[in-house]
Amino acid sequence: MDAIRAVIVDDEELARSIIREYLADHVEVELVAECSNGFEAVKAVTELKPDLLFLDVQMPKLNGFEVLELVESDLVVIFITAYEQYAVKAFEVHAVDYLLKPFSRERFDEALTRAKEKLERREYPPQQEIISSARPKGETIERVLVRDGSRVFVIPAEKIDYVEAQDDYIAIRSEGKTHLKKQRLSDLQALLDPKRFVRVHRSYILNIDRIARLELYAKDSRMAILKDGTQLQVSRSGYDKLKELL
Amino acid sequence: MHPILANQERLSIYLLGWLIFGVMLAAVLALPNDDFTWTEALAVAIPLTMVYGAICLSSWYVCRVYPLEKTPFARVLLVQALAGILTILIWAAIATGWATFLQRAFSFAGLQTHVLERAPLLIGFAFVLYSLTVAVHYLIVTFEASKESEQRELQSRIFAQEAELKALRAQINPHFLFNSLNSISALATQDPSAVRAMTLRLADFLRKSLRLGAQEFIRLEEEVSMSLSFLEIEQIRYGSRLQIDQKIDEVCKGCLVPPLILQPLIENAVHHGIAHMLDGGTITLEAEWRGSVLHVRIDNPIDPDRPRNRKGGLGLENVSKRLRAIYKDDAQLQTTETGDVFHSDLWLPAQTSLGFHRPAPVTAPPVIQE
Repeated sequence: MDAIRAVIVDDEELARSIIREYLADHVEVELVAECSNGFEAVKAVTELKPDLLFLDVQMPKLNGFEVLELVESDLVVIFITAYEQYAVKAFEVHAVDYLLKPFSRERFDEALTRAKEKLERREYPPQQEIISSARPKGETIERVLVRDGSRVFVIPAEKIDYVEAQDDYIAIRSEGKTHLKKQRLSDLQALLDPKRFVRVHRSYILNIDRIARLELYAKDSRMAILKDGTQLQVSRSGYDKLKELL
Repeated sequence: MHPILANQERLSIYLLGWLIFGVMLAAVLALPNDDFTWTEALAVAIPLTMVYGAICLSSWYVCRVYPLEKTPFARVLLVQALAGILTILIWAAIATGWATFLQRAFSFAGLQTHVLERAPLLIGFAFVLYSLTVAVHYLIVTFEASKESEQRELQSRIFAQEAELKALRAQINPHFLFNSLNSISALATQDPSAVRAMTLRLADFLRKSLRLGAQEFIRLEEEVSMSLSFLEIEQIRYGSRLQIDQKIDEVCKGCLVPPLILQPLIENAVHHGIAHMLDGGTITLEAEWRGSVLHVRIDNPIDPDRPRNRKGGLGLENVSKRLRAIYKDDAQLQTTETGDVFHSDLWLPAQTSLGFHRPAPVTAPPVIQE
């Protein structure tokens, strides 16, 4: 078997050092990178395609879940956290291994053994499900994260004009730029503030602050004219939802 | 809302009382002579008394505007006398009208004249009852005010206790504790003397917070030293990412503050500030004495793009609640954000011994004896 290529992600040097120390006994694991924040982690995972990720939950810029959301690689994750009720519940529901700081060498070895078994079986964690169950119920997101290659863009929700479904992707329109992300439109819709973002059409989520006016376009069909002149189709049910909010 | 009209039970008792007065008035009219038959007396007295009872309810509004404890007694007397005269005049007019009506409608001979002859008696009756109503209203006002203030007192005591409890629970933040233990665990094989240093700092912080947290007030320098112990432990975790700068005016050190009042602000500065900065930054802690006010300011860098944390406001809210419970409106916490710096400003009455609102000299702050 090839060496297991691993990446450690934690913003604290001391926390990284203990994993390094425990890993020293496992020659089959090759440490390919250490990252001290989420951006570095996304870059490292995208470029190095590791098999195993030791991922701290609380970090600057991007937390562990956001890192997981942004990487598409097939990899096994061992989460590390000091104390986080939501996270631990999500880990248990999805049988994801996690280490609670501080952890012993025995506990670490156990988690590593299970991770190796999963790697052999190519059993990768259901990333989106873990992320959504780790999020407190009913909480909306205030920013959307998009990765382009190994670069990460943070788009504040209020700067989104509209989102369009395009096959397996969604195109997020913000400040004159279009960002592509692999996500279902309905999944994103569930996360955005329903008072601000409306599914006006099967293919569009619209930020209602951007609407300049609505025009009748055909029977049962309307056009939303945005402040920048963009025209978006509005379905019958989309119009009903808009009427309620405007 | 009118205390009698709003309460059905009170209204029934009130009306029943007036009905009894009506019967008494009828008896006074009918008994001594032949001018009134019982029918006539009752027909005159009962409706007039009930109407008067309704009119007298309005005296509550006068009572409310001129509460006994806040108005000079002479003024109360004057205002109530005027209101009373007005009420009695209105009633007298109604009584005259009623007597005329009865005489014409039921041909009670000479009724109007007989009623007018009894004017002094009727006015006396009206005066006594008006005074009685006013007395009852004042009693109710006083009763409700004392009930309300009792409730307020209880409420603020509950708030204070709640805030206290939360503060005590917050002093051992599980995040902080577990992360510190993780640092110790990591250091164990690398640097045994650092393990000892870290353990000692942790013990020092826990001991201070347990001892000082149990007191009602502590000196600002004790509070600051506790905050610094906390920051020194976090410094081991965050390494060079966490810098500390403090400027506590000498005169402020003896000021009394509630224990652990700064702790949530310092924790926020670390966990919502420094922790989100890739390169970290400096937390600045300043205190100055201004007039009769102690001003403490904590500045920390923040990442403008950071996710707004749902728990961020909770610590601040606790501090505000505690301040209100202890100082009412004399203390304030304000947080502001200017670009990439977050400021927490705390204003407290500057006091060096217990007993609130102690005026402090503006020109020369007292020298605090160590």
